[in-house]
Amino acid sequence: MSGQKSREKKTTYFDYNLLFIIIFLMCFGLVMLYSSSSYTSANKYGDSAHYLKLQIRNILVGLVPMIILAKIDYRVWKKFGTLAYILSAFLCLIVMLPIPGLVRSSHGQARWLNLGPFSFQPSEFAKIAVILFLAMLIEKIPKQMGRLSGVLKVLIMIIPLVGVVAINNLSTAVIIFGIAVCMLFVASPKYAQFFIIALCGVALVVVGIVFAGYRSTRVGAWLHPETAGDAGFQTLQALYAIGSGKLFGKGLGQSLQKMGNVPEVQNDMIFSIICEELGLFGAVCVILLYVLLLWRMMVIANNAKDMYGALLVTGIMSHIAIQVILNIAVVTNTIPNTGVTLPFISYGGTSLVFLLAEIGLLLSVSKGIRLEEIEQVRND
Amino acid sequence: MARRKKPVKKFTRRMRAKLMVLFSGILFLLCVLIGRLMYIEHTDGDKYEKKVLSMQSYDSKIIPYQRGDIVDRNGTVLATSVAVYNVILDCSVMTSKEEYIQPTIDALVSCFPELDRAELEKYAKEEKDNRYIILAKKIPYNEVQPFVELQNEVDEKKNKVHPNINGVWFEKEYKRNYPYDSLAASVIGFTSSGDVGTIGLENYYNDVLNGVNGREYGYLNSDSAFEKTVIQAQDGNTLVCSLDANIQSIVEEKIAEFNKKYKNNYYKGKGSVNTAVVVMDPNSGEVLAMADYPGFDLNNPRDLSGLYSKKKVAKMSEDDQMNALNGLWQNYCVTATYEPGSVQKPFTVACGLDTGTINDKMTFDCDGHEKINGQTVSCVARQGHGVETIRTTLMDSCNDAIMQMTYKIGKENFSEYQSVFGFGQKTGIDLPGEANTSGLVYSLDDMKAIDLATNAFGQNYNCTMIQMASGFCSLINGGYYYQPHIVTKITDASGNTISTIEPKVVKQTVSERTSKKVKDYLQDVVSKGTGGTAKVDGYSMGGKTGTGEKQPRKQGKYLVSFMGFAPYDDPQVVIYCVVDEPNAADQAHSYFAQNISREILEEVLPYMNIYPDEKKTGRNKGLDVTGENAQYTGKNDGTKKRE
Repeated sequence: MSGQKSREKKTTYFDYNLLFIIIFLMCFGLVMLYSSSSYTSANKYGDSAHYLKLQIRNILVGLVPMIILAKIDYRVWKKFGTLAYILSAFLCLIVMLPIPGLVRSSHGQARWLNLGPFSFQPSEFAKIAVILFLAMLIEKIPKQMGRLSGVLKVLIMIIPLVGVVAINNLSTAVIIFGIAVCMLFVASPKYAQFFIIALCGVALVVVGIVFAGYRSTRVGAWLHPETAGDAGFQTLQALYAIGSGKLFGKGLGQSLQKMGNVPEVQNDMIFSIICEELGLFGAVCVILLYVLLLWRMMVIANNAKDMYGALLVTGIMSHIAIQVILNIAVVTNTIPNTGVTLPFISYGGTSLVFLLAEIGLLLSVSKGIRLEEIEQVRND
Repeated sequence: MARRKKPVKKFTRRMRAKLMVLFSGILFLLCVLIGRLMYIEHTDGDKYEKKVLSMQSYDSKIIPYQRGDIVDRNGTVLATSVAVYNVILDCSVMTSKEEYIQPTIDALVSCFPELDRAELEKYAKEEKDNRYIILAKKIPYNEVQPFVELQNEVDEKKNKVHPNINGVWFEKEYKRNYPYDSLAASVIGFTSSGDVGTIGLENYYNDVLNGVNGREYGYLNSDSAFEKTVIQAQDGNTLVCSLDANIQSIVEEKIAEFNKKYKNNYYKGKGSVNTAVVVMDPNSGEVLAMADYPGFDLNNPRDLSGLYSKKKVAKMSEDDQMNALNGLWQNYCVTATYEPGSVQKPFTVACGLDTGTINDKMTFDCDGHEKINGQTVSCVARQGHGVETIRTTLMDSCNDAIMQMTYKIGKENFSEYQSVFGFGQKTGIDLPGEANTSGLVYSLDDMKAIDLATNAFGQNYNCTMIQMASGFCSLINGGYYYQPHIVTKITDASGNTISTIEPKVVKQTVSERTSKKVKDYLQDVVSKGTGGTAKVDGYSMGGKTGTGEKQPRKQGKYLVSFMGFAPYDDPQVVIYCVVDEPNAADQAHSYFAQNISREILEEVLPYMNIYPDEKKTGRNKGLDVTGENAQYTGKNDGTKKRE
């Protein structure tokens, strides 16, 4: 008996590679955050490390849910899938109501919910909720995934949440929808239907752009940032930053563009400063780091103990991939300007805490992997 | 294997394949983005890099600092920076609405008459996107004001009367201004491109005068609201210098008068190659006035028309013009070296007295020349002065007697004292380009008998005016050698003192007794000896004349000088005047310098509240800067050509 136990212990798996990549990304993020924000924060707050300190706090706060979630068996969450979905939809509704004291506006849009000393964005919560919900749902009805009707059914169940989020925050809605599509894509054995869904998605985005007023000026800024005046300012500044970085950059801390030229530099636009200071080389290294991270996630999903875990990982993987792609696409003016943060590097509390929570889930799934089963699968 | 029995839903092979497809899709998109990054850098890298660099002044505005003033000891502003404005047209703002264009152009044309309406309309049509067109440069404040008033004019309801004037703004700049044009030009110096001191104090104290630019920069936050941060400029510090604008202008006036009178006197050309005067306070080493001729206008330093005709300037090559300008900008008193002539004699005498090698009881027989190692050196009086004491030696400016004194003094003593008096060393005056004369004096080892003999009366070695004047101050003030200096105080832009430069005694050159004796002899030089022409009637004073023959010898070219002090009891002012090659047939007379010195002192002494301490005797009455009696000879009406 005792021999069997020790053997079992040996074969338990924990993905240290993944943990290391995450920690490295966050540390690198802190360095870049300090480099890019020190000038503006010194001017604004009289403390060059203002944002750095806040971000370190955010990381420490975020490590707590990560460790807790990594310890708990992820299968517990199966029961909470529907609840999470409803709760997030509810919170996203609440945040639209002008309740003083509870709702905080920033950048012209009400996106924050005040809960005691913390304030957070319900839309960030919605991302993880959608992953939990879909993983649960798909696992229940894997057979229906083969049919178009089944896929559409799942998508329709997602639409209310996407809609609620979209009213306030189109980019997050796009991310949520993207996560859903990716998860369904993996779950379904078909390909063709996803072209249709993709087309619908594009159509949806176009409709959203046309209807939301301030965003359509963003489209103008996207097409011609030079002539769009104020609206194209941020994009243009980011392009200047990238262009002036050349192959190896100006060197860490040497950015000129962070000196008040690129607005929101520590936030959505941090990648432009990475390009300016570390050059194309640094930027590609960062992207490769993300590729490595995503690859580890794929490995975990492939070897997960059950379909639920694999689907969770798929969702998390698509979430991070979508954000990275969207962020870099925005900074390079490949798509219209929209506020998407670069995971683990950009400044931002809520987004980081929930990302770390997702990593906790991921680690929990990785712990479930039994090495001997992998051997068996290989031998099958 | 109990676990197998439990129906755990597995991640199927198909799903793995599709996850692989998803991952590949993500990889593909990331590769596209890397491609996009490369594209941006490859195609627009240079363009964007320039943009980033130019943006430093594009989106952020530099608030220029004001360079510090230079004021004289009474606070008279000698150099200052005045704000001027560049008129900038942001055409994209002006043309952003059709109704802006006409009122803006109307306002511009009416307020700035030098602007051309047709040109503005051309801008409005052809350069719509140009955000930075400089319409006019360096417009003074009072000319800009009407436009600003017009633009901000409001009616009773606080509504703008002219809301359609848009797209014009003003860029502040400072322009260096010298209220007294050419006054103390080579001392003060001027700046190029506003903040780079080229010569004089402007150059020497460039960093002190310059401040730090401020910056006003703005950025758009995501509400598209413009946020502004302003870092105020730090203005430069003000220099308070020891110059006195009144004394300086008296000096320059006399120099100019002299050179005007002697212009084309013997040969065609200037009244002298150079005329320079230093006026110092012997009790602190502060320079009260420092002037040289020819001068130039600080507000227009690159103008050569004062020296050459327009035709000639046009013919000159760029190098020639630059050389001429550099010559013009030289501060003769500090940068030029020359053989001083007999003004050296008091120093030689002081050296002898201080070392005890000569004394009042000694007599020297002047027979008109002295033979040294076979070389004959003659005295001023060819037939000889006869028997001379030290006092009469100085009074007659006898070379022979001085040479005989050097036999007693010896070259060791002489050489040591020359260096004590500061010859061969830089004085350390706070002006740029002080000449290094260390190679132009004899060291003890190199000094031969003939060198000693000729050095003793100021030939055969070179010095600068400031060396001579500083040494002379110590000779008559009890032996205290003050470092000559010009700046006495540095204050910040709001007038708070940052540092005070106190008079600095560097060394004791001679004993008080020696100093007293030399002073006494020098009084006789002026009252009874060769320096009589410099005597200001009613004032006790002392001094020494100098007539140095220039190299090459026997060409009739002389540098004449006078060095004096007043009043005798407690010298308050030292004057040293040098006239390099006066435009006269016979140049070998110190009268030229004496006349200038007298004319200057006549005005400066009363101005300095120094009261006459002697009975007036009518001496030198009615003389002007030429000496009136025409002590110069050979008037030629400028027909002779200069060699």
